Amino acid sequence: MISNIQSKGMGMTLTIDYDFRKQIQGFNLSVNYCFQCATCTGICPVAKMTNGEFNPRKLIEASILGLKDKLIELQQPNVWYCLTCQKCVELCPQHVELTEIFDVIKNSCVKSGKIPDAFNSQAITVLETGVALPFSDAIMKRRQKLGLDDYKTADPKEIQTLLKGIGFDKLLRFETTETNEKKGEK
Amino acid sequence: MSSENTKNVMIIGGGIAGIQSSLDLGDMGFHVDLIEQEPCIGGRMAQLDKTLPTNDCSICILAPKLSDCFRHPNIKIHSMTKVEGIAKKDRGFSVSLKRQARFVKEDLCINCGMCVAKCPTKVLDSFDMKMRKRKAIYLYYLQGVPAVMAIDKVNCLHLKNLEKNKNVCGLCQQVCPKDAIDFTEKDTIYDLETDAIIMANGSNQYDPTPLYAYGYKKYKNVITSLEYERMISASGPTQGHIKRLSDNVHPNNIAFIQCVGSRDEHTNPYCSSICCTYSTKHAILSREHDENLQSYIFYIDLRAGGKGFQKYINRAKNEYGVKYIRGKVAEIKIDEDENPILFYEDLDTFEVSSKKVGLVILACAMIPSKGSEKLAKTLGVELDRFNFVKSSIDSPVKTNVPGIFAAGSVLGPMDIPHSVINASGAAAITAEYLSKGEK
Amino acid sequence: MKKDLNHKLFLGCVIPARLPFIESSAKKVFENLDIGMTNMENASCCPDPTGIPAVDQTTWLTLGARNLTLVENKKDDIISLCSGCVETLKMVDHTLTEDPAKLEEVNKNLAKIDRKLEGSVSVKHAGQLLYENLELVKSKIVKPLKGLKVAVHYGCHFLSPSEIIKWDDPFEPKTIDEIVGVLGAESLEYDSKLQCCGNPMLKTDKDLAYSLLYKKLSDMEKAGVNCITVVCPSCFLQFDYQQKAVNKKYGTNFKFPVLYLTELIALALGYNDQDLGLKLHGIKPKKMLQELNILSKE
Repeated sequence: MISNIQSKGMGMTLTIDYDFRKQIQGFNLSVNYCFQCATCTGICPVAKMTNGEFNPRKLIEASILGLKDKLIELQQPNVWYCLTCQKCVELCPQHVELTEIFDVIKNSCVKSGKIPDAFNSQAITVLETGVALPFSDAIMKRRQKLGLDDYKTADPKEIQTLLKGIGFDKLLRFETTETNEKKGEK
Repeated sequence: MSSENTKNVMIIGGGIAGIQSSLDLGDMGFHVDLIEQEPCIGGRMAQLDKTLPTNDCSICILAPKLSDCFRHPNIKIHSMTKVEGIAKKDRGFSVSLKRQARFVKEDLCINCGMCVAKCPTKVLDSFDMKMRKRKAIYLYYLQGVPAVMAIDKVNCLHLKNLEKNKNVCGLCQQVCPKDAIDFTEKDTIYDLETDAIIMANGSNQYDPTPLYAYGYKKYKNVITSLEYERMISASGPTQGHIKRLSDNVHPNNIAFIQCVGSRDEHTNPYCSSICCTYSTKHAILSREHDENLQSYIFYIDLRAGGKGFQKYINRAKNEYGVKYIRGKVAEIKIDEDENPILFYEDLDTFEVSSKKVGLVILACAMIPSKGSEKLAKTLGVELDRFNFVKSSIDSPVKTNVPGIFAAGSVLGPMDIPHSVINASGAAAITAEYLSKGEK
Repeated sequence: MKKDLNHKLFLGCVIPARLPFIESSAKKVFENLDIGMTNMENASCCPDPTGIPAVDQTTWLTLGARNLTLVENKKDDIISLCSGCVETLKMVDHTLTEDPAKLEEVNKNLAKIDRKLEGSVSVKHAGQLLYENLELVKSKIVKPLKGLKVAVHYGCHFLSPSEIIKWDDPFEPKTIDEIVGVLGAESLEYDSKLQCCGNPMLKTDKDLAYSLLYKKLSDMEKAGVNCITVVCPSCFLQFDYQQKAVNKKYGTNFKFPVLYLTELIALALGYNDQDLGLKLHGIKPKKMLQELNILSKE
């Protein structure tokens, strides 16, 4: 049962979604320990560089309050701006596992069909080849020149069986996107 | 000396709690042996400049009590003494004590200071939080009781060389008008029978060096609250002047960071209860020293539970211009002039900012005193998971050992009023215990 | 030198398929130091801790567990040159050891490909392994790297989450600085030393990734470094390939050559640029190293 409580704050109507709240707690209970000291935001390099537009404390606050609209629909703050550098995790006085909780939120976004292109492309490559960067012919030659043996990675079929078995393929978008970013940077 | 029927109480620790319990029990007619490991009694309160929330001079409140203790017919002060062992007797305990050699005869020394003037050795003074140097022969602090010099065996040139059979220095002995210096004195071990014990060995300040993000010890202008307390004391290392340690220049603005090592699962998960108010005290006193000095206090929650504490904080905000910023400082960096730069989120404006100040004071957690664990083990007293003494459920001053009680911050972080109340409570419970003749 | 476990080298994706010179420098170093190491075959993407758990945590756990099943049985341990791979494998190992229910679920999925994870696997970064053999490294140095003023970049996943990685201190790391010192080079402190290089941000906001990199490069320049040392291929890509983009955005002229830790050690052990394939770097280190007499002028 979804119970909604509407409340007005900052000119925006926010909906508290109790199921979403419980869902996040189910994946990582440490979200409950947060007492909003803002140490995480103080150390976050992205928060500093975006003048607080990305704000880890706000992401946790929204998670505690079950503000699904804010996190998933509006993506404010945008959880995809987390670098996973984990400085926040190192300093958090309450051992809130921020990076993992952000992954939970990202997973929710993906399930709602909101997956950024670069993440989608990488995931598709892993699904189809078993690795994030397949070997090109040029690289094979280069490896030979450096005296390196051929390196055998996993059988793509085995990986596909495994990943399809857990429904990984169902999460991804398989249409070609308009902006075909140069794949290469991880 | 006490008569056959007088009961004896041993109080371990000569801080304000130990002193208060001693006076209460002494006044009630019990004989008190006050055991203190330092050369003088007084404890943490002697290091403070002012007490909160009245901003009274700390030593002015303490000194009369020190005098009373010293002169009290029922109280015997055992200074430079530590507890080594204990045995339960038919009635009470037999405690084995070790008295470190003072090398100065307590009944002869008149505290004239001629020895100090001549002593060539300088040592970092732990009473002044190592911000100043004292001599190898020294008075623990100006108003200390017993007002007698002590020689630091580890640093004294004469004593160090005595072991190598060399006769070096000894200038203090040469100039002492009362011939009070005795280099032949030895540590003494003796037993003392007692009917009850009160543990009052106090607490310590958490050392924030492992919190590398704050740069304590790396950056000269990041100091701790106790160091700042000594700095603003008129009798302290800078004679009460607020100075940056990097260049001795007076800062224009200073910042206090609360909850350093407190409320933190990495260090001490508990709240140290007094830091919000004592940082407020520091900020108020700083403004009194210099009306242009701006103070910032960075906090998570402002905890002001004692009598008059909330009013104190309101005064700080309204009358002394102290700016309270909600948001814990995450890290400190410095610029080329060693000005600390603080990085934080301001939770009233949601701005992710940095602030440059002249000096940073870390309000560090209150932790059990250094010898606490060992003493508790010796006495058989149970500690809680933070190594403070575990109180029994029915009475906060009782420990798990019948006849051993506890008072003051050895039980947990507490301020002076609470320590005093605690101490009187422990005295009352001890008296009750002794009057019942329980075993 | 302990030889109780066989070292299996987990190469990951980026190093063998994009930066093979890192692999070759590492293998030369291990050979020189007589540290036995064999490729861990059949591995998949670890999977990438900055990309895959964001899509689906279960996938991350499952693929990671599958990689752990390739060694196991207390005979092998996993050594990796990539901090991301080390973090993933250590975290997956830790999670599944602490949570038997999760392990059971993962094994149910692994059963579909006839695999099963039983027990814990030891995972170590090559940087840790080399630090543990520092005396040996020291004894085999033929070319002290005098004149190299190194900006050590530890990166994020080499250190965090420190409760699981359990190696160096995340706010006061010392191990790589120490190795650099032993090799005869000088490690210089710079303001943003502990900041992330920004590589993961390339997936979300390239411009911000360049800003993060710019902060590091300008602090490095202020400190007076002449090269950068990394222990992670993602950091390597960020520093080696993106200085151009930063220069374009900010009008700067950064051109610091990047040397992976094992390349640095290999140079000190006497290997030359031909051996190491240094010309394959984005920013070529050869000229600078020749000027410092670390590489001979041909």
